[in-house]
Amino acid sequence: MSLVNYANREITCKIVYYGPGRSGKTSNLHYIYGQVPDERKGKMVSLATQTDRTLFFDFLPLDLGQISGFSTKFQLYTVPGQVYYQTTRKLVLQGADGVVFVADSQKRQLQENIESLQDLHHNLAEQGMEARAVPLVLQYNKHDLPSELIHSAAEMSDALNFRGVPEFTADALHGPGVFETLRAIAELVLKRLSAGQSAGAGAR
Amino acid sequence: MKIAAVEAWIAAPLQRYVDEARARLALLLHPSGQAIAQAGFTRRMDVMTACALAAASHATSSELGKYVDGKPFRGLHYAGPEKQLYLATIETRAGTYICLTVFDDESSLGLVRMYFDDLVRELTTAAPVAPETPAPALTADFEAELNKNLAMLFGRGEVIITNA
Repeated sequence: MSLVNYANREITCKIVYYGPGRSGKTSNLHYIYGQVPDERKGKMVSLATQTDRTLFFDFLPLDLGQISGFSTKFQLYTVPGQVYYQTTRKLVLQGADGVVFVADSQKRQLQENIESLQDLHHNLAEQGMEARAVPLVLQYNKHDLPSELIHSAAEMSDALNFRGVPEFTADALHGPGVFETLRAIAELVLKRLSAGQSAGAGAR
Repeated sequence: MKIAAVEAWIAAPLQRYVDEARARLALLLHPSGQAIAQAGFTRRMDVMTACALAAASHATSSELGKYVDGKPFRGLHYAGPEKQLYLATIETRAGTYICLTVFDDESSLGLVRMYFDDLVRELTTAAPVAPETPAPALTADFEAELNKNLAMLFGRGEVIITNA
């Protein structure tokens, strides 16, 4: 649910990084956090297990500056990818304005990617959100790994991108693709907001 | 004392609640974690982060309540050494909100809960039916502004986007 405050001309949007366990959702946020100057970001909060797996979510508030005269802020969340955190994923997904699906490009992870994407659509539908209408960007992460271990971008696209949404290869640990992914989802969300179609319960 | 609210009908009741309950701070948020209004002193606290965590805590305790008691918990109280938190839901015609109240030894849980009930009544009465706000009219060049701002955020001079 995008929040539009006309009194102080401020827009706040919620973006959720979704995907299977260990696909690199938290790495995306860590990379963004490391790149953005202090005055443009809030504290990154990670609710993680002792082994650094995401338990509830990671949260990173970003200030994108002035866009069309509105001070624009994005709140980036990740969900825990492991199958048994289904309830938590639903809670974090609540009110999302856009979703980045972070897929693991390793060949052995293809089935997990497909199941996680199905899980995303199921959870959106359960919250009364039309899954096909929610701004979505696909990121094929771990493309820095040797080519014999990973699927090509075209193969990943064939398997996952049946909606024909923007898609990017990435190496979230080192940065390539992270910025492009964030830019694409920000653009989709703002376009949708401008058209008067908030993904969640409606703009306020 | 700071008061800020995205929706005007919330501001006065929330400020009155903070004053009467002698709370330090009250944040009203959407269950998704978006801050709707604040009254009181935030000090060094980041409001966005506090709201994200409050929404998470509320969601967790609600689910826990369903498991333990068959229905969601309506309120949650945490008593720290100096500050205490009270987290509870407010149902209105305009939607469901969560209120995070921060108070210290100037107040008490009983006082906060008593005035919280008043806040619920006031907001329930004041809430408009399905408030509608127009979508922000973004200018035609908003994509260029977005690109420029993101490039600055990432310390890049030029933006080159390559699809997979």
